[in-house]
Parts: sequence; C-alpha cells; structure tokens
Amino acid sequence: MLQSIHTRATHNLSAAATFARNYRARTDDGALLMHLLGGLSTAVAFVLFLRGSQWTILPIIVFLATVAIGWRRYQAELVKGLTFLTTVATVSILSLIIVFLLLRSLPIVTEMGASLLTRTSQPLWGQNGVYALTPMMIGTALTTVIATTIAAPLGIAGAIFVSEIAPRRLREIVKPGIELMAGIPSITYGFIGLTIFNQYLYTEFRTPTIGNYFAAGIMIGIMALPTVVSVAEDALSTVPESMKNGSLAMGSTNWQTTQSVTIPAALSGVSAGVLLGVGRAMGETMAATVMLSHTKGFPTPVFDVFTNYGETLTTVIAFEGGNASGLHMSALFAAGVVLFFMVMVLSVTSQWIEWRMHRKLGGENA
Amino acid sequence: MADSNRTFDGASRRKFMLVTGTGAVAGLAGCGGQSGGSGGESGGESGGSDATATQTESDDSSSSGMDTSVLTGDGSSTVFPITNTASSYWNSNPEAGDEDYWPQSWASEEYNTDMRLADFFAQDYGYETTGERSVPPFRVSIALSHSGTGVEGVMEGRVDIGDSSAPAEAELAGSDVSQSTLDNFTDHVVGVDGQPIVVSREIADAGVESITIEELRSMYRQEITNWSEVGGPDRDILALGRAEGSGTDTSFRANVFGDPNASISPDQRFGQNQQLQQAIAQADNAIAYIALAFVEPDGATPPVDLVIDGTTYAYGENLGAQDYPLSRDLHAYTWEGTSRKEAAFLNFVLSDFGQENFVKSNNYFALPQDRLETERAKVDPSNFS
Repeated sequence: MLQSIHTRATHNLSAAATFARNYRARTDDGALLMHLLGGLSTAVAFVLFLRGSQWTILPIIVFLATVAIGWRRYQAELVKGLTFLTTVATVSILSLIIVFLLLRSLPIVTEMGASLLTRTSQPLWGQNGVYALTPMMIGTALTTVIATTIAAPLGIAGAIFVSEIAPRRLREIVKPGIELMAGIPSITYGFIGLTIFNQYLYTEFRTPTIGNYFAAGIMIGIMALPTVVSVAEDALSTVPESMKNGSLAMGSTNWQTTQSVTIPAALSGVSAGVLLGVGRAMGETMAATVMLSHTKGFPTPVFDVFTNYGETLTTVIAFEGGNASGLHMSALFAAGVVLFFMVMVLSVTSQWIEWRMHRKLGGENA
Repeated sequence: MADSNRTFDGASRRKFMLVTGTGAVAGLAGCGGQSGGSGGESGGESGGSDATATQTESDDSSSSGMDTSVLTGDGSSTVFPITNTASSYWNSNPEAGDEDYWPQSWASEEYNTDMRLADFFAQDYGYETTGERSVPPFRVSIALSHSGTGVEGVMEGRVDIGDSSAPAEAELAGSDVSQSTLDNFTDHVVGVDGQPIVVSREIADAGVESITIEELRSMYRQEITNWSEVGGPDRDILALGRAEGSGTDTSFRANVFGDPNASISPDQRFGQNQQLQQAIAQADNAIAYIALAFVEPDGATPPVDLVIDGTTYAYGENLGAQDYPLSRDLHAYTWEGTSRKEAAFLNFVLSDFGQENFVKSNNYFALPQDRLETERAKVDPSNFS
C-alpha cells in the first residue's frame, strides 16, 4: 500500500516535471510573458478587490489589454491560459466559500463547543445564547429517510422500466418527461404540499400541526425522484450490450437477463443514483420551508414523523436568516457547514461508486 | 473669534427682525416666556441668548428665524406610514373643502377654519400662510429605513425626526451610548401598534370570547393543550407564533412573559402575517397574535379579548392602552429639544385630524386621550411664542 502510494507520487512528480519542461520548451517567450502577465494581473485584481481599493480597475485593464494583444498574436496559448484561469477561478470560489462558512461559524463553535451538535436538553435554540443544531439534524435525518423510502424504490423501478422494459417509442417520450420533472421549481412542489397535502393530513387525520416531517418528506421524495430515475437509468443502459446478448443467447428471457445480469452489473451505478437523490433531498430547502412548522425539539419516539416539531438544517437557515444577528447568525452558518459536509460525503461516495462501475465494466463506454 | 462672533450677531439680528415681523403678522408678538429651544424672542434681546439657542438646536436647522428649510425624517418602516402619510398631506397643502384630503367636515366643523391644511396647522407656530396648493409653509420629507437608522440619523443631525418602533435606548443598546446622550432625545409618541389575539372561526363560534393572560402564557408553554380547559370545545390547541429572532417574537416574549429570553414553545411558527392569517383560516383550533390589518372580526380571523388582572382588553376598544402587553409605542424622536418646525409638524400628526387620517387609517391605534394631551403639551405652540 505504502509502496504503491510512493510509486504513484514519484510518477506524478516526474510527470509534472516533464509537463513543465515541455511547456517551457514549446511556448514562445511572448506567450510565456502573456501567461505570466494575465495570471499576475488577475491575482493583483483579486487582492485589491478584497481590500476594497479604488485601484482595482488598473490590474483589470492590464488583464484586458493582455488578452486583447494575446488574441492577435498567440491565440492558441491565450485560450489555453484563459481556460486554465477559469478552472482555477472555479476551484478558488469553492474554497473561498468553504473558508467563509467555517470562519463565520467559528463564534458559535467556540461558544457551544461539541454541544452544538450533541445537546439534547432545553433550552435548545435562542435562549441565553444557546444554539444547538441537534433537533435540526434529527429533522434532516427524518425527512431524508422518508424521502429516500419514496424515491429509491420508485426511482429504481422507473429506471428499470424505462431502460429495459419500455418499448423504444414510449421510452422516447417518458425519458424527457422525467427529466422535465427535475426542472419544476421546488417552490411549486412546496406550494402543492402546503395547500393540498398539509391541509389534507390536518383535516382528515388531525395531525397536531398543519405540516409535519411526514408530509414534507414525501414531497421531497417526489422531488428527488427524477434524479434517481435518470442516474439509475444511465447506469442500467451503460451495461454493455454484449453482456446482455450473452445471457439472451443462453436462452434466458428478457426479464431473467435484466434480473440476473443487468441489475447486478449496474448495481453500483444505481446506488450512486440513489445517493445523489438522497443528497438532493437533504439539501432541499424551499418546499420544506413552506411546509414545516419551524418549532425545534425532539419527537418522542424519535421516529414520530407526525410530531408538532418540524425544522431541518436547511429550513432553519431559510426561515431565520433574515432576522438573525450575532451568535444566532453564526449558528445558522454552522448549520450550513454541517449540511455541506453531509452532502459532500454523499456526493463523493456516489462519485466513487460511479468511478468503480466504469472501471469494472470499462469496455466500450469508459 | 471675536470677528466671527460679531458677524454671527449681525446675521442673527437680521433674522430677529424677520421673526418679529412674521410674529406680528401671526399675532404672536408680545408673548414672552420660555425659549423652548427656539430663538423666537423679542427683537430687543442680545445675540448672546440667541447663540445659546442655536447650540441647543440640531445642526441643520438654523433656529433663530422662521426656518422654512425642508423638515427631514427617516427610520422605522412601521412608523413610516404615519409620518409619511402626514408629510404627503402637509406638502400638498389642500384647500379647505378638498373632500379627499381636507374635507369641510374637518375644516369647518372641527376646526372652524377655511385655511389650507398645512397653513392652518403651521400658523399657530408663527409660520406665514402661503395660500397655495403644493406650497406648504415648509416642506416635509420622510425617508424609509430601519428604527436604528432613524435613531442614529437624528442623533448625528442627518435628519430632524427619527422614526423608531422601539425606544431609542433599546435601539442603541449595543453601541455603548451614555445616559447623557440618551437624555438629548425628545420622545414623541405618535401612535400605538397593537396586535390582537385571534382564534380560528370555529373556536370563536364555540363561545370562546376572552382568555386571561395566564391562560395565554400556559398555551404558549404547552401547559394548556385543549380548548375545553378555557371554555371551548374539546379540541387540541394549535398555538401559532412568529419566527425566532424576529422583532415580533422577541417583543411577545418580553411583554407577555416578562423576559425576552423566556422559553416558549408554540406549535408552529410563521415568517409573515399573511402566512399566519392563512394558517388560522385553514385550522379550526388555532390561536395567534397578528397585526391589526389582518384581523377579520366577521371573517376567518376573529379577535378574542385578553383579560389581565380583571381588566379586559378588547379589539376595537382599548388595545392601544399602554398596559396591553402586545402593544408598542411608535416613536418620532427629535434631538436636543424640539424645534418650532418639528413641533409644528408633530402637532399636526398628533391632532385629531392626524390621528384619524394618518394613524387609524394605517391600521394603528390612535393615542388614548390622556396620552394625547401629554404628547401635545410637548409640542404646544405656547412653547415657542
């Protein structure tokens, strides 16, 4: 293990050295200067902008001039440099956001310590400088579990139908339809949930509040459905035709092939789809904000999804961000950090699964 | 130094002539007495006292004459409708008999005058009448921001009037302001904002007409959870509140529970009055406190009375009273006393006409008569004669 890491590191290093040599040798001095000037002026502009300087315009002008001259003399090198710059910009924006989130949540972490994430006794939120994210983490977990129970089975079934069973013509209609469903704004789902579903549960079943985890979870599950279907469907259709043909040639039926060849082969991709759906459900804000009751506490028993408590990590930010200040605001940023890490773990896992699938099935699609 | 003093004296003496002149026109010449922050004394006085008067004034109003520069105000969006509507009426200076803005029912029957609106209210303060529409004795301009901005603005002399929905002490609590600075504020309460307690239609129909403040507290602490405990139907109580950290939530805790940090647990919270109103209408077991404009006595959000120590606070009667826990005063602050110009405008807002048209029509409570007398005394024309 250690040996392989060492080998890989050495390999990477020598590759980088080769790249640098090649870059130096194959680039004109003028183009080199252009890259240098462009990079430097961007960096200076960024620093000046952060400091609120009135001279920010100067490096920007230098940058624009460099680009203008570069476009006439070293077009290929310019494009190379610009595309590299945009990549750097994207990555830096992400890192800046992370740093900002962490910095802003620092005050509440120093104030509350670990109890920010573990406190279970009253007061939980708002009194005497106590802000515990525990009830919201439970809330997020509850809605996510409900949403997953809706989205995973329905999504996988839908994906199998679209990819394996549906006739070609139907598939051509259904697939774009499902993708369109992903484009419906979340507030639309929320509005339906608020006016119809919440009200239905309240009048017919006398739920303690108008809106609860159950209703919100189901709505979020429906919203996560298209993500699950389209990713799982992609995974199923990535299974090489040769594998299916082999099974069919042995005399098995279509369903037998689907059941024992296609699904097992695509299983990791399908689970990646489910995980992406879970990530979507966890981060869903608007629909949950209008549907939940925004009171914080622990349902008893903890899986009581019809409780009068209702707040998740996302909804607390959306609902209270407008009039928060000081520690309160910092606590909301901390909620953002927790959410960010949860969703990041999910998305990294799903990417890793997808990568593994591609390696395993490789062949024509990799 | 001496030179500048002399020039200053000269300037103020000229203004004195102006004052005496207009004073005579307004029939106020010869009235002696206090110089309540404005330098409208008789012409024979030396410039010295005038200089003192100038110092006690806010920077932008040159006090010692008939100051007709624009009167400015800024601050709370809650108070804004009152002062802004008043300024609009004032600036338009409609003639008596303009049925929309200065109807005869007010002008001739209440005030027995045929003067234009702003002319009439400004004349007591020694302003000359203009007799022209859209030309008031001085213009008034009210800006819209936040309570804190208004309070700071008036403190730093950027504006004459600072609108605030909370006391200046509370607004400045975080910024380390000394008591002597706070003493420089003159508080004028121009109206009262009060939130009635409302219940769902079914609850009101079932006979719940009033609750005590103890019952209200218990409901928001989940100690009373069934309407039958307060004389209603056998039905769970759905206690609705406002978002944590919002001003309304904080003042509810502070005024009803006596502590802004009090622990309360409503069943459900809403961000806006509109959402709250919709939820009360949807539910058949809800109780809530809601802004006056959203109460429908015969509709989906009927009010109930609140009983505190034997006193009943009823919608449409006495919710503007100072002791009603869900009411708050709406302030218009002036800095270092009240100038003649500020007083003229504030008196206009505090008049019966003003309370009716700027306060009640904007869904706030007019000040009760005794408080009105106190507030009017602070801006009485006799302070400036």
